[in-house]
Order: sequence, then C-alpha cells, then structure tokens
Amino acid sequence: MSSTHQIFDISKFKVSCGNCSLVELCLPWGLKVDDLNELEKIIKRVRPLQRGDYLFHTGDKFQQLYAVRSGAIKAYRTTEEGNEQILGFYLPGELLGLDAIDTEKHVCTTVALETSSFCAVPFTRLEELCQQIPGLQHQIYRLMSRELSSENQSLLLLGKKSAEEKIATFLVNLSSRLHVLGYSSTEFRLPMSRQEIGNYLGLTVETVSRIFSRLQKDKLIVIDRKLIKIVNEHGIRCMCTGNKESSSKSRSATGH
Amino acid sequence: MINSLIFNKDLITRYDTLGPRYTSYPTAVQFDESFCHDNYVEIARSTNEEPVPKQLSLYFHLPFCDTVCYYCACNKIITKNRAHAAPYLQLLYEEIKLQSSLYDRDRIVEQLHWGGGTPTFISHAQMSDLMRHTRDAFSLRNDDRGEYSIELDPREADADTIALLRSLGFNRVSLGVQDFDPEVQKAVNRIQSIAETRAVIEAARKHAFKSVHIDLIYGLPKQTVESFARTLQKVIELGPDRISVFNYAHMPRRFKTQKQINKADLPAPTEKLNILQHVINYLTQEGYTYIGMDHFARPDDELALAQKQGTLTRNFQGYSTHANCDIIGMGISAISKVGDCYSQNVYEIGEYEKLVTAGRIPVFRGLKLDGDDLLRRDVITQLICHFNLEFEQIETRHRINFNDYFYNEISILKGMERDGLLSIDAERIRVSPAGCLLVRNICAVFDKYLRQTQAEQTFSRTI
Ligand SMILES: C[S@@+](CC[C@H](N)C(=O)[O-])C[C@H]1O[C@@H](n2cnc3c(N)ncnc32)[C@H](O)[C@@H]1O
Ligand code: SF4
Repeated sequence: MSSTHQIFDISKFKVSCGNCSLVELCLPWGLKVDDLNELEKIIKRVRPLQRGDYLFHTGDKFQQLYAVRSGAIKAYRTTEEGNEQILGFYLPGELLGLDAIDTEKHVCTTVALETSSFCAVPFTRLEELCQQIPGLQHQIYRLMSRELSSENQSLLLLGKKSAEEKIATFLVNLSSRLHVLGYSSTEFRLPMSRQEIGNYLGLTVETVSRIFSRLQKDKLIVIDRKLIKIVNEHGIRCMCTGNKESSSKSRSATGH
Repeated sequence: MINSLIFNKDLITRYDTLGPRYTSYPTAVQFDESFCHDNYVEIARSTNEEPVPKQLSLYFHLPFCDTVCYYCACNKIITKNRAHAAPYLQLLYEEIKLQSSLYDRDRIVEQLHWGGGTPTFISHAQMSDLMRHTRDAFSLRNDDRGEYSIELDPREADADTIALLRSLGFNRVSLGVQDFDPEVQKAVNRIQSIAETRAVIEAARKHAFKSVHIDLIYGLPKQTVESFARTLQKVIELGPDRISVFNYAHMPRRFKTQKQINKADLPAPTEKLNILQHVINYLTQEGYTYIGMDHFARPDDELALAQKQGTLTRNFQGYSTHANCDIIGMGISAISKVGDCYSQNVYEIGEYEKLVTAGRIPVFRGLKLDGDDLLRRDVITQLICHFNLEFEQIETRHRINFNDYFYNEISILKGMERDGLLSIDAERIRVSPAGCLLVRNICAVFDKYLRQTQAEQTFSRTI
C-alpha cells in the first residue's frame, strides 16, 4: 500500500458481477460478456450497513434497486397505531425496492439485522440499459416474478392454521433460500430475533419459543442460542403441511 | 456411573501443583477491564432474541459478617454495625431494577442463590424486602420447583430464620461448619456449637427443605486425622444430603486475615494428605457418592442423579444441575455468565454506589469467549463433572477433529496415562479411580491460559 492516509471509498470500487458468487441469482444472469460490462458500469457498491442501520425509509424517493450482497435485511411498515409490521426478511442475492417502481416512493422501511453489504442499481439508467439489452429486460421480469411468488409463499405461510406449521414452514423456507446460496441448509444462524419471527408470523414471542422448544424436544432441530441445526429434515417438512403423523412416524424410525 | 476413588498418595504428592478450581473457564484471572457496561448490556439484550432464551439463575452477594473467620477467602466486609446493611441493600435494589430491565419477563428464574459473606446478617424484614424486590423485577417460580438456595451461618440463624426463608421460597440450604473441634475453632476464630448447627438442620428438615449441604475445610490449624475424624462423625450424625470438604490454602499475602493463623499450627503436608484419605474412605463408607473435586452427596441427591444422567455442570458455587441458565450476579464482586460472556461487578462499595446510582450495570471486567474458549470450556466441564470425555460429542458440537485439534494436549495426557491418572484411546478419555482426585490437573492440560498465569502463582494447591 502506497498511501496509508487515503480513505477507502467503497463506492469507487469497480463492481465485477462476473466474479460475484451471487451472479446466478442477480440481475446479470444470462447476459453476454459485453452486456455484462455495460451493466457493471452503472452498478455501485454502497457502504456496508451495521446492525440497526437503515437502507431506506417508507416514503423515501425511489431511485435505485438494491441487491443484497451479504448479511440480512428486515423490511417493515409502521401501522396506523404506530406498531411495526414486518413484511419479510431479505438474504444475499435478493433485490430490494421492486415494490416501489409503481409509486416511485418506497413503501417499506429496510434495516440491517447484521452487517450487510449491497450493490445499488440506479433505476432510470437500468431502464435505459434495458432498451439496449433485451436479455436484461427479461431478467428483470424474472426477478419480479420471483418476488411475486415469494410474496405468495409468505401469504400461504401466514394463512397456515397452527403456529407449529408456521414455524416449520418458516424454517424450511429459510433453509432452502440458504441452500440456493450455497450455504448449509441444515445448519444456520437465525439473523432475526424471536420477537421478529413472532411479529412476522403473527405469533406471540412466548408461542414462538414454546414451538421452538417443542421442535427441539421432538428431536427435529437442535438449538444452540441462535444457531439452528435441522436434524430431521423429513419430519420438519411433514410438519409444514400439518402432517404430524408422518413426522412422528419418522421420529420413531430414527429410534426415538 | 458411581465414581470409585483410589487414594494414591504417591501420585497426589507428585501432581501437587498450583491450579484453578475451574468454577469458570477461562478463569477470572483472564477477565479484561476493557469489558464494560455497554458490552454487558448488548449481550444481555441479545440473549432475549434467541428462539428459546435460556432460563435465569440469579446470584446475590451479601458481603457482611459479624466476626472474621481467619481462614476466610470469601469477599466479605466484617462489621458489628448492622446498620451498614440498609444502604447496601438500597443499592442492590437499584441494581436489581437495572438488571431486570435487560431481560424479558417470560424468562423464568430456575435458580436463585444468596451468597456471602453471611446472607443472614441482614434482618428478617430485610430478607423479605430483598425477595419482594426480586419478585417484582423477575419472574420467580411459585411452584417450589426452582433451585433456590442460601448460604447459612448457623451462628447467625435460628428456627425462625429457617421458617422465614422457606416461606420466601428457599428450598435448599448450605451451612458453614468447617470443623467442630474446639481447638480448631479457637485457632480460626469461629466458635460454633453442634447444638446450634443441629437446631438449624432440624428446622430445615421440619420445613421440608429439599437439600441440606454442609461445608467443611481440611488443612486448618490444629487439625489432625483424629480430630477431623471426630468432626466427620458428628457431621454424619446430622445427616446432610451433600458435604463439601474444601482444601484450605494458606495464602496470607493475598488474604490478610490469614496472617492471624500461626503457620506452625497448620497440619504438615503428609498429615493433610492423611486427613484427605480419611475423608474419602469414611464418607464413601458412609454411603456418600464422590461427585468430584471437593463434593460428596447422597446417591439420591439431585447432584448425584444429574451426574448419572450426564447433565451435571459447574458454576461459581461449585457443581450444579442447571446447565442451561444465563447467570446474573448482583452485588459487589458478583460474577455473571450471560450469552457467551463472563463479567464481574466491582469489589468496592463506594465504586458500586457510584455506578449503580448513575444507572450503570456495575461491571468492571469481563470476557467474551471465542470459539476456542467455548470448546475448551466444554472439554473441561465434561471432565470435571463426568470424569469421561467422548471425542465425538465434542467434535459434533464444535466441528473439529479432536485428535488434530488437541495434538499437543494428547501427548501430555499420554504421560498422565502412563502415571495411571487416566486412559485415553481414539474415542475417549476416561479418568481412572486414582486420577479422580487430580482431575484439576487433567483439566489444566486443556487450559491455554494457564502457562502465563502459573508463573504468577495466583492459584491454590490442587490437593
Ligand atoms: C462464602 S463462604 C460463606 C459461608 C458462610 N458465611 C459461613 O461461614 O457459614 C462459603 C464457604 O467457603 C469456604 N471457605 C472460605 N474460605 C476458605 C478457604 N480459605 N479455603 C477453603 N475454603 C474456604 C467455607 O467452607 C465456607 O463455608
Ligand atoms: S467463613 Fe463465612 S462467616 Fe466466616 S468470614 Fe468467611 S464469609 Fe464470613
């Protein structure tokens, strides 16, 4: 290093989507090398957020989409009574801000649950680029569709009857999203608190803890503080559909 | 597993080195003064976020004693003036408020302990007040299924005290006896009759305390095998569920009141070993199970049962059956174990007052354990509680290969194996009956901080 006094400006850092491990999940997927270079030119790396830092607030002018590179983000809206209602949790490879294209204002507030980094994509420039690169347009449709379908997923999740089904589904959903990222699907750290899980699923914290300890007692998961180990994947999948019978059957199959 | 013990004088003499008692790992010597209020608060709050937050264990330090026992190594304040308790308790209530604001109310207090000093130095009204403040701030159990214990000096308690304590929710009691021999009692300035001790135990039985524990010390001045044998006999007649026989370490430079003890009155090392040998033979013959370190218990006592089930753990009071609590220590010098951290309150009342009245948790040092610390703590706890260590358990919990990770330690253990302290193969370490008394030495092999502190000679002798 020649100069130790130079302040490291992360936004000047040239983005290289080609080397990014999230490339398959993100905007550039399927683009030709030349097109990728054009896209890289408009993407900026933004300063990482610490736990508790905000990315944008409800009502902020929508200017860019954000791709999560690392960490975990919570999106929420404040209800008329002034309470926080959590809309979802975002993991690496997922895009934030798609829901603001219509009104050009952000419709939720996003806050980092742990140290998180992002790429920012200025939306007007992205639209211009789409005129030149048809593949990019298609990729945006794909990502929007993914967002819609995950929205549907969470509606289904919230519509579940029992608290047990909700939590099992929540865990399976998290596990498969981590799997896509190349992380272990059976052992992961919950980035959110039990209060946030409860808020998102519409359960009290006491219920959240009661269900988690029951899942542990039934030897479906092992909990070590925020670390979750899924030890009976089949059992927990069965539980998502309220199919307790087969989950208990598989329990006895493992000798318990 | 009932631990059979073999007393091997040769080995004990050879391995008689300085070593920690591992009521925590890393030991308090490693606590760092850069760990402060803010660290503690952040960690305490984060434990509420866990999907299943741990239940709580509360420790209250009540430091006052009416007279000094010369041997005493506890953190205490000697005073005849009972009025000193009131202002201290006011500060303690403040700390209770500060601490409880950090923890969610659905976290049940599974374990509660009043230690000292002499907790019963305070008046009956003050005891009720302290418990009321605790109940207002935390969720205590009302079904008598918690482990709520108190250290009791029989000279400072009578049947009424016992009845009151029971009604306040205590269900376990630990009595300081040390030695019944009049000569020894005189030499350590602690005159305590069998009658007053018996009265307290009878009251505890009458009020259905679930466990009665007696503390003894060997190695005190004027002790001989014969004199201590008589003490043991009287202790057995009192029928305690648990007995601790602590090793007296004479360190007058560190504990000033020990200067009052005439060094020439201390039993010679061989005599001391003979006393220990007699303790072990006699207590096991009387049907007590050796739990480990300095602890014995009746086979149906919950400590012995927990050991059988593999759930025994170690904490600042010695052994415990509640592995899964976050421990909050309140009062001067109290130690907390919350999240993956240890922290300790200031020692001095003036300091304590300054911090607490400023609304600060009065922490002055602590330590955040890293992965290596957690791994070594797990190993040491297993060995000291169960005399047995299955590598596979540790490997799955900490994602390491035991034989690779502890390559150096294992080669040291091989030496201990040749000496007959343990056996070690590819899958486990088993402490041998002759090694049980030296389990501290075995644990010390896994203590990565020991080498630097050993030079400073801050620990007591192991036997
Ligand atoms: C914190 S003291 C409180 C007990 C209470 N104040 C009493 O004396 O009854 C707990 C126990 O530590 C033990 N102890 C105190 N000083 C010791 C020393 N220097 N060496 C070994 N054990 C000691 C004693 O057995 C004592 O009962
Ligand atoms: S042994 Fe107990 S009574 Fe005696 S000085 Fe120590 S704490 Fe006080």
